[in-house]
Amino acid sequence: MAALIRGLRAGKALRGLGSVAVQAKLSPQCINVRRGFHRAALLRLADDFKSESVPPPSYHEVHKGEESSTSSAQGDSFNTAAGQEDGQPNTSYQDQSGEHGEDYETEEQLQARILTAALEFVPQHGWTVEAIASAAETLDLSPASTGMFNNGAGDLVLHFIAQCNAQLAETLAEQHKQIQLGQAEPKKTAEFLRDAVELRLRMLIPYIDTWPQAMSILLLPHNIPDSLKHLSTMVDDIWYYAGDRSTDMNWYTRRAAILGIYNTTELVMLQDSSPDFEETWAFLDNRIKDVVNMANTAKQVQATGEAVVQGLMGAAITLKNLTGMNQRR
Amino acid sequence: MAASVRTLALRALCESRRNINRVSGSRIKHSCCGAWFTLCRGYSDGSEGKSTHFGFETVPEEEKADRVYKVFESVAKKYDVMNDAMSLGIHRLWKDSLLHAMNPQPGLRLLDTAGGTGDISFRFLEYTRSMYEHQQRQKVRSSQTPSWRDIAEHYASNKSGLPQSRAVVCDINKEMLKVGKQRAEKAGIGTDLSWVVGDAEELPFDDNQFDLYTIAFGIRNVTHIEQALQEAQRVLKPGGRFLCLEFSKVSNPVLARLYDAYSFQMIPVLGEVIAGDWKSYQYLVESIRKFPDQETFKEMIEDAGFFCVQYFNLTGGIVAIHSGFKL
Repeated sequence: MAALIRGLRAGKALRGLGSVAVQAKLSPQCINVRRGFHRAALLRLADDFKSESVPPPSYHEVHKGEESSTSSAQGDSFNTAAGQEDGQPNTSYQDQSGEHGEDYETEEQLQARILTAALEFVPQHGWTVEAIASAAETLDLSPASTGMFNNGAGDLVLHFIAQCNAQLAETLAEQHKQIQLGQAEPKKTAEFLRDAVELRLRMLIPYIDTWPQAMSILLLPHNIPDSLKHLSTMVDDIWYYAGDRSTDMNWYTRRAAILGIYNTTELVMLQDSSPDFEETWAFLDNRIKDVVNMANTAKQVQATGEAVVQGLMGAAITLKNLTGMNQRR
Repeated sequence: MAASVRTLALRALCESRRNINRVSGSRIKHSCCGAWFTLCRGYSDGSEGKSTHFGFETVPEEEKADRVYKVFESVAKKYDVMNDAMSLGIHRLWKDSLLHAMNPQPGLRLLDTAGGTGDISFRFLEYTRSMYEHQQRQKVRSSQTPSWRDIAEHYASNKSGLPQSRAVVCDINKEMLKVGKQRAEKAGIGTDLSWVVGDAEELPFDDNQFDLYTIAFGIRNVTHIEQALQEAQRVLKPGGRFLCLEFSKVSNPVLARLYDAYSFQMIPVLGEVIAGDWKSYQYLVESIRKFPDQETFKEMIEDAGFFCVQYFNLTGGIVAIHSGFKL
């Protein structure tokens, strides 16, 4: 019976979600839908610790597909829902957020808002829970709401990185569109890579003083999987927009190369004190040149190797001819 | 008043439907009692009048509050000693875990409901005080050459600078509060702590007052748990956190058998030997069995309007911390 009432309420909640889901942004949308399922207690398993993490929004097409498939699943449950009263959590939340005058918002969206606001306090408090607490206060929430973030400072850093990567992907997509429309010249690969890495690293400049703390947080064991995930999606994005469609060993070597370049340039940037980080960009140029040179050298070595082998083969056959071993009798 | 009218109306309704009830089973009875479903929670099939569980007994709802009051009145003096004896001191670890889960920033207001002897509040004040000092030290350290002004402020800041954390201990039982006050005096924690008599189902506070609401080992004694949850929702500020530390269902079957054996064989005996009160401790272990399990309680908290509800199991599920936010 309790399950029946809960199901009815959840159906109503899902309906409410469905209408708002269209207006919401893309990446929170699939989280929106996921929360609808959570409310219907269909997919909720008994976890001890359930932490909510923002997935890196790399490929927009993937998320669109996900959203349309799940919204069709919602449609079925709408027909069965009678819905006498509004989903109680929804209405009570709207009442409390009346002073902000905003529409229904999911928990994840609120968390994202708090973390974005917390970035302003990072220069003052560092990447800590205090920054999140100060941000919560600016949003008229009690500082006790920092408990929502099980990972504390880690959540803040990961959120920032996800934001930067999203911005990078957007900018690269824009440039790509420009090129396709013919309004811009396609860049050479080396130049493209250099510009993309510089663009991404420039996003760190406002927080460069506290960035070592953020890096150390990312290296904590429980954060390593997430930080690696963000890194790899970023590198993937860069190569995708650089035009890499390889399906062989090159896929790995290219991404490893950019990963190395990015990490080393980041470290150089941390201790760079030149105006506008000129030395960092010079370092970046040199590394890219190195990689390009290495690629060329590798090709040359291969070609030379083949030529040498052919030469040796020729010499061996000549010798055989000279000694008369090749003659057929 | 409203409660008694509801009781009468409900009784009339259910009596008129009794015949239909017996014929068509529980489903229709519950749908008739639609809006009063939450009151029917304590119902056993086929019983009339509002009644609830008191341990394994069934008692009318009005009686339960009185009987719980008497239980705690009689155990108040030996409460802390008994806690240590029954849980072998582990209850201190549980309460410390609650504080770690809470991770309170300095300057927050805590309402410790069913706080009784004040364990949670004392820990809260110590935690925030040490955090505050830690933050002060960080500040001084980060300014590499502290100016004379910083140093002067550092010495002058005797807890009148930043907003101080305050705790309010609320309990329905005066005896428990008395014991708590004595403990506070002995420990020297006098400031920032208030003691209020109040019912968890009807808190004597205005709306949006507190940043944190905790109820440690108290909510299973409340007659109407949903009402207590709604009161918590009311007095918390937006962004405030609800935390509940309570005995819960053990998942591991082996541990469950051991735990049951220990609960029913040892604890009442300890109660008789140390506190001279077998029945109260019998009630205690029975009330643990009657409390809903982790998932059910989590759903109850969500129904009351809390978000991001989570629970953490401690000691294999013997105790669980539930946490929710008012957003």
